[in-house]
Amino acid sequence: MTFKFTTAVGTLLCAAAPAFADKAAVLDNYADIALAKYTDSLTTGQSLLAAVNNLTENPSAEALQAAKDAWLAARVPYQQTEVYRFGNAIVDDWEGKVNAWPLDEGLIDYVDGTYGGATDENEYAVLNVVANPSFTLSGNTIDASDITPALLEGSLHEADGVESNVATGYHAVEFLLWGQDLNGHGAGAGNRPWTDYASGDACTGGNCDRRADYLTAATALLVSDLEWMVAQWQDDGDARTQLSADENAGISAILTGMGSLSYGETAGERMRLGVMLNDPEEEHSCFADNTYNDHFYNAVGIRNVYLGSYTRVDGSIVSGESLASLVAAADAGVDAEMRAKLDATILKMLDMKIAAEAGFAYDSMLERGNAAGEALIMGGVDALIDQTRSIERAVVALGGNAIEIEGSDSLDDPEAVFQ
Amino acid sequence: MRLALILPFCALPAFADVDRALDTHILPAQTELADTTQALADTAQADCTPQAVRPAFHIAYDAWISISHIQFGPLEDQALTLPMSFWPDPKDSTGKALARLTAARDPIVDDPDNFDDVSAAAQGFTALERMLYDPQPDADYACRLTQAIATGLARKSEAITHDWPAFADLMRSAGTDGNTRFQDEDEARRALYTALSTGLQFLHDQRLGRPLGTFDRPRPRRAEARRSERTLRHIQLQLAALETLATAMTDTDLTQTRTAFAEARQRAKTLDDPALQDVADPARRFKVEVLQQAVRAVQVAMINEIGTPLGISAGFNSLDGD
Repeated sequence: MTFKFTTAVGTLLCAAAPAFADKAAVLDNYADIALAKYTDSLTTGQSLLAAVNNLTENPSAEALQAAKDAWLAARVPYQQTEVYRFGNAIVDDWEGKVNAWPLDEGLIDYVDGTYGGATDENEYAVLNVVANPSFTLSGNTIDASDITPALLEGSLHEADGVESNVATGYHAVEFLLWGQDLNGHGAGAGNRPWTDYASGDACTGGNCDRRADYLTAATALLVSDLEWMVAQWQDDGDARTQLSADENAGISAILTGMGSLSYGETAGERMRLGVMLNDPEEEHSCFADNTYNDHFYNAVGIRNVYLGSYTRVDGSIVSGESLASLVAAADAGVDAEMRAKLDATILKMLDMKIAAEAGFAYDSMLERGNAAGEALIMGGVDALIDQTRSIERAVVALGGNAIEIEGSDSLDDPEAVFQ
Repeated sequence: MRLALILPFCALPAFADVDRALDTHILPAQTELADTTQALADTAQADCTPQAVRPAFHIAYDAWISISHIQFGPLEDQALTLPMSFWPDPKDSTGKALARLTAARDPIVDDPDNFDDVSAAAQGFTALERMLYDPQPDADYACRLTQAIATGLARKSEAITHDWPAFADLMRSAGTDGNTRFQDEDEARRALYTALSTGLQFLHDQRLGRPLGTFDRPRPRRAEARRSERTLRHIQLQLAALETLATAMTDTDLTQTRTAFAEARQRAKTLDDPALQDVADPARRFKVEVLQQAVRAVQVAMINEIGTPLGISAGFNSLDGD
C-alpha cells in the first residue's frame, strides 16, 4: 500500500507557459540514462558474482578481498540509480529485493552475543539460516537443506512480514563478505575471516559450505534481478513504456524521484537518523563502512538526472535533452537556483567523503558529542533539504504545463491516488 | 514574482489564510507546548517519582501531539523532530539507548547543557514514557534520567517556540524582496498544506496502520504509546489539531472536509480501546479499520476542498522514503 499523493507533484492547473523544450526527448534521455545505469549495475554485479564464485571455489584472504572490492565497485553505479526509485513504480516495487536495509543479520548467519535475540518486532532476528537446514517460520516448516535463490526470495525475504528480515540483495551479500562491524564507533569495518568459507577443519564459524551456498545464491539472485531491471528500460521495456505513455506524468516522475530521494530517504532515513541516534548500525552499509559513498552517489545520481548526462563505468557518456533545459525554458532563475543547489550538495557530500577516505570513519562521525562528524553529515543533510525546496520550485515552474496530467489525476479523482 | 505573472491568468477563487493559521493555530499551540513542558520539568525537579510526574507528562504530551504535525520551520531547522518524540521505533532504539545510559550510570544526565548529545531516542516523550511506565530497578538513576529528559523537553520546546515568531514573519512576508525561504505566497500555503496532508498520512499509515498490520498478522505491540495507553488519545488529538489547521488555512467551502472530520472524530470517540490492543481480536478490530477508512475520507476531502481550489499540492515530506 504505497500512498503516493503527497509526492504526486501536481500544481497550478491553470498556468499556461508555452513549452520550449521537447519533453519526449527529455524522457528518452532519462530512460537511456536509466538503461545505462542499470546495465552498469549489472556488469559490475556480474564481476561480483565471478569474484564470489572464485572465493567459494578457492577460498583465501585474497579471494575474499577481491570479492569485497567487486562489491564496492558495484555500488557506484547502483547508488546512482536510486533517483529512479520513487518516481517509477516498477523500480520502487522491485527495489526491496535488491537494496533493502537495515537488516537483522542474525536471520542469515551467526552473530556476536551482544546482538541480542528475538525482539518485539521480529521473532526471527536470530534464525540463522546458515546453521539450520530446517526451521519453522510463521507456523510453516521450511526445508532449507538446499540454499537456493528461490528459497531466499520465496520463503526468507521479509519473513513473517518483517521488513528487517532482509534475506536478499546488496546488503545481505555485504554481511556475508564483511561480517558484523564490532568496532562500535571506532575505525574499521566488519572483519569476517576468509576461513568462514574454508573447507574441512579450516572452516570457522561453522557450516562453511552452507554459507558459501547462501553467498552464491544471494549474489546470483542479485544479478538476475538486475538483468530483469535492465530489460524494463530497453526500447520495449515496461518501465520505458510506462514513462513515455504520458509525457507530463513522465516529467513529474523525474521530479518526484529527485525530491523523494533527496528529502525523505537520503537526508532523513539514511543520514539524519544515524546522527540523531548516535548509532553505528544506522549506517546504510554498516558492515563495509561504505556509507559515505552510498550518500555521495545518491547525490551524484540526482544531479546527473537533472542535467541529463551520465558518465558510465567505462568512461563513455550518455547525454541528451535534459530536465534542466525544460526548467530553464520555463524559468531561468529556478534552473540557475537548482543547478547551484545540486552543486552545493555535491560539495558538502565531498567534504564528508574526503574526511572518511582520509580515515575519519563514518562510525566515528556518528558518535555522541562528535561535533566535527555531526557537522560533516548535517552539512549534507541541510544541502539536500535545501535542494528539495528548489525541486518543489521546479515543479511549480513546470506546473500546469509539464505536470498538469499528474496533477489532474490526483485532483480530479483523489481516490485514484490512494491505489 | 513568478506567480505574479501567472496568477492573473488563473481564476483562483480563494486565498489561503496563512495569517489565520499562524495566529489561531500554530503560535498558540507552540506557546502551549513551551508552557506545559516547563511545568513538566518543574514537576520532575520537585518530585521525580513516576506517580508524581505522570499528570504533567500527560498534559505536556497532549500539547506536543497537538503541534507535532507542524514539521517545517524551527523544528526542522533545529533538527528536533526526532529528539522530541521517537516513533515509530522498529529497532527499539529507545529501549537500547535508555538501557545503555542506565547500565553506564552515565553522568550526562546531570549536565543539562549537553544532554542533547545523547541518542535522540533517549530524549523525547517516547523515552520519558518508558521511564514512567516501565519498571526501573535503579531508582536513583531513573530519577535523574527522568529529570534530564523532562528538562530537555522544556529546553527544546522553548527553543522552537522562541524561533517561531521570526519564522512566522517569513511566512507572512512571502514573496517580498530578500525572502528566499518563501519566494511567493503559494510556498507558504504549500508548507501548511504539506503539514496537513503529511499529518493525515501519518495518522492513517502509522498511528493506525502500524498496530493494525494485516488481518492475519495484527501488531498490537506496535501501537504508539501503548504503555501509557495514549494510542487512541493521540489519534483524537491529532484529528482535532488537523481540523483546526484545515479550517484556518482556507476560506474555501469545507463541507465535505468537516463532515469527514466529524465522522472520524465520532468513530474515534466510540472506540473503547485506549491502546488499540483489540486489533488482534477479529471480532473487534473492524472498529479500528473503520476509523482508518474515515481518515482516508478526510484525505480525499482535503484534496477536493483545499488542494484543488487553492491550486496547490503537497510538497515532499519525511514519509517519502522507505
